[in-house]
Amino acid sequence: MKKLRLKTYFNVWKIFGLNALQETLINRGSNILFMVGKILRFSFSLIFLYLIKTTVTSFAGYTSDQMIVFFLTYQFIDLTSQIFYRGVYVFSGKVRSGEFDFLLSKPINPLFRALTGKPDINDAIFMIPSLAVSFYIFSKLDVVVSWQSLLWYLVLLINGLLIVTTINILVLVIGILTTETEGIIWIYRDLSSMGRFPVEIYMQPLKFILYFIIPIGMMITIPTEVLLGINPSFSIVATMLVGVSSFVVSLKLWEWALKKYSGVGS
Amino acid sequence: MSLTVWTVIFTSSNDAFGYSRESMITYIFLIAFLQSIIISSSLNGLASRIYSGEISNHLLKPLNIFALFAVQEIADKFKNTFFLVLETLFLFLIFKPIILFPDYKIFLIFIAWAFGGLIMNFIISLLFGSLGFWSPQVWGPQFLFFMILEFTAGKLFPLDILPKILQKIIYLTPFPYLSFLQIQLFLERLSADEIIKHSIVMIFWIITLGLITKIIWKKGLRSFESVGR
Repeated sequence: MKKLRLKTYFNVWKIFGLNALQETLINRGSNILFMVGKILRFSFSLIFLYLIKTTVTSFAGYTSDQMIVFFLTYQFIDLTSQIFYRGVYVFSGKVRSGEFDFLLSKPINPLFRALTGKPDINDAIFMIPSLAVSFYIFSKLDVVVSWQSLLWYLVLLINGLLIVTTINILVLVIGILTTETEGIIWIYRDLSSMGRFPVEIYMQPLKFILYFIIPIGMMITIPTEVLLGINPSFSIVATMLVGVSSFVVSLKLWEWALKKYSGVGS
Repeated sequence: MSLTVWTVIFTSSNDAFGYSRESMITYIFLIAFLQSIIISSSLNGLASRIYSGEISNHLLKPLNIFALFAVQEIADKFKNTFFLVLETLFLFLIFKPIILFPDYKIFLIFIAWAFGGLIMNFIISLLFGSLGFWSPQVWGPQFLFFMILEFTAGKLFPLDILPKILQKIIYLTPFPYLSFLQIQLFLERLSADEIIKHSIVMIFWIITLGLITKIIWKKGLRSFESVGR
């Protein structure tokens, strides 16, 4: 059995992070504006939810306070995936230019390099105020959370992050096969933004797509339902089964795609 | 998403935020359509084309470069509109909104305002592209612009549901003129005085932004250097 070399990978990731930080510091002006944009988006979304709260008491069977928890969960998962997997956005360029050849010849798993090679420092910084505001808002909401549901929520959040990883691996696979990922990433971004609200509000077949094809519902809706003590739309076991099995399948697809890759002799 | 969210909000009541169910669904439907036409632009990559020197190929030709950009923009709009019509037909069949057409005079003003929104977005895109004369890092301001636009142009919700103070701030910017006010006009929610006032403000923004863009473009051209193409 292969040794995992976790320390080596952590050190390599630290170098990626430091490089990204240096890049961010060089382009300070642009990055500050980027951060302001993120803060505005977060604020406007919250304002919208509060406006709903003041006008509508029930939203498809959910209270307006519960709706805010769905949004905060979406915010956390989305931000985490942006922090770690931003490299996926530039991967197709590396395939087209042949730069991916260099990654293949290094003694580091190319999947690790392709997925995590460009951490997003802006999002990492934004995560701090975002988490602080989220905890503050959560503490003011009229929702009841038990220790048991909190524990399952954390387990399902990890499962949600596994699903995010799976989706990003599938984008990489498409990048190798077609050398084009921009379109598919934006489709995913658009669909994932639907997770700001519980997937239960959408009509079929969109609901089916959001649970099983691009399982945003399993990533965000189910964990939040469990946290809030609402009977989840699908069982915890089914949710975790989707998470783990799709992850395994994505790894197999990555291995298969690598065999299809043809370098340009860089 | 907006259509679903508002449909759900209106399941429990027929009136919310001063809108009836029908007028809100019509609003969301129309604004999504109009924004997709107005806000999409072929000039989003202009800054990198300038910074890389690619633009010099066009600058050397006996062409008016703004006319060239305008033609490219029109072609891009036609392409987008084709796909947009297909998408809209699909959504129309699902949500079946009741679109109430306004009086023909209002409709003509609506067309003029939509055209004004197109011109304004074209100028704003040129303005951001012009920053490429000095730096390739225009994604920061561009991202901020799109974030502000996402909410202040009224795509997710109409601006008149916001607190009055926020509305006042937003009306000091050109963003409501990029689609929100056009739809308010279409829904006949503006008085004659407001139509005149907003027409004047829209013309003011087009002229002001046009002049700023012209000055920045001229300054940029003076400092522009390109070799080996």
